[in-house]
Amino acid sequence: MGIRLNLDTHTNGDSPIHCWRPAQKLIGLGVLVFAFAAVQDLRLVPAMLLVTGGLYAASGLPVSLLLNRFRYPGFFLLGIILLLPFVSGGTVVWQWGILALRQEGCITVLLITARFFSILTLGLILLGTTPFVTLVRTMRSLGLPPVLADMTLLSYRYLYDIADNLATMQTAMRLRGFSNRTRKGLLLPNGQTLKQLAALAGSLLIRSYEQAEQVYQAMRLRGYTLQNSKFKTQSSKFKTLSWSTTALFLTLLVAASFVIAEFLL
Amino acid sequence: MHIPDGIVPVQIGIGGYVVTGLITWYSLRQINRMKDPMQGVPKAALLTTAFFVASLIHLPIPPASVHLVLNGMLGCVLGYYAFPAILIGLFFQAVTFGHGGLSTLGINGLIMGIPALLAYHLFQLRQTFGRQLKPRLAFGLFAFLAGTFSLGLSALIFFTIVIVTIPSNLDAATERAAVFTLLLAHIPLALIEGTFTAMLVLFLERVKPELLQGEW
Repeated sequence: MGIRLNLDTHTNGDSPIHCWRPAQKLIGLGVLVFAFAAVQDLRLVPAMLLVTGGLYAASGLPVSLLLNRFRYPGFFLLGIILLLPFVSGGTVVWQWGILALRQEGCITVLLITARFFSILTLGLILLGTTPFVTLVRTMRSLGLPPVLADMTLLSYRYLYDIADNLATMQTAMRLRGFSNRTRKGLLLPNGQTLKQLAALAGSLLIRSYEQAEQVYQAMRLRGYTLQNSKFKTQSSKFKTLSWSTTALFLTLLVAASFVIAEFLL
Repeated sequence: MHIPDGIVPVQIGIGGYVVTGLITWYSLRQINRMKDPMQGVPKAALLTTAFFVASLIHLPIPPASVHLVLNGMLGCVLGYYAFPAILIGLFFQAVTFGHGGLSTLGINGLIMGIPALLAYHLFQLRQTFGRQLKPRLAFGLFAFLAGTFSLGLSALIFFTIVIVTIPSNLDAATERAAVFTLLLAHIPLALIEGTFTAMLVLFLERVKPELLQGEW
């Protein structure tokens, strides 16, 4: 497959995380994600950030990739960070008029931000060190239904083809004089523009549907069935099974420690 | 309308995965009962991608622009494939743009997927209740209802989860009022989404009607 997600550009490394077998890595990091999501005590945050930083350093992924990832924190998250310190909790630590900064709200924001950062970084480590196709095949070998796995792989295969189709059609529309005309009134879209954009989206769906017919015929000719997709995810670069299992065991131990500490503190 | 990682309690995240798993199992069971489930896989996959790409089209709504959700339209076209399609779309969004998250994939799947499945059934009602209407009118009307309803329901589930699970000083009445107010603010968007869905369905009905037949 020639098409690559941006993350796939870093999957050819030879760091210990790159060489960790995909199945063990997926289980280990997946469990750690949920252990981090369960952190409610502020005292566990430094340890959580330390583990996250350690894993990221071990993955050898560039820091610029991580920073690039945080360009999209989302307005929703930003809204919560700005709002919660003023509406959550009862202990006022600073007041200006009707605005009261509350201690509990600040703690919640710190927890949310730390969890968000750690989980997003773990996701980046997983996806940045494992080729996307290998990841889906690993999920398939771990029990992902074949319909879901095949749909994901085919969607991934045609993602940029269809995005290119859309870009070409949008260019053609502009060359024929289309512009996003707007009415003067607030919140009122131009009916003609809406109709043309609906035709654009419709044409995209029809092209994809017709392409899918050809894909299906080609797949049938090659003997495709839903049940026969046995995938091989082993590669010479992966470390031995015992190494990967030890790494999985250690990750599960760290995850269990966070959950137990959460109960005890 | 995606919940990022780290916002909701872990119980909600795990619960979301469990319910999403059940609905996926039910959807796959319905798919496997189809005449040739294998035939639908490439079509559903490419249409999933097309919907994912089409949702990047921005509609100019003065003074800004909005992007479409299209989960109602997805239900109208893909039927039971809509729920797996939404999971895949959300997975791509989490992976490529960082929208949503891996720990909240289940809950986000419910926010978008349940309305899509209901929109599918709502759209199918045209065959029962739309018989008295002209075919094009029935298509347009039920597509509008499916598009409007699915976005409205997604907004309702999203705001309810966020407001109820995030710790705040709000009492139950204030929380209800906040959900209601945020929902009211989404009515214009739901109407625009419904209008766009109706236009899109009417276009497909004219150019490629087999896309709306639902039986692959």
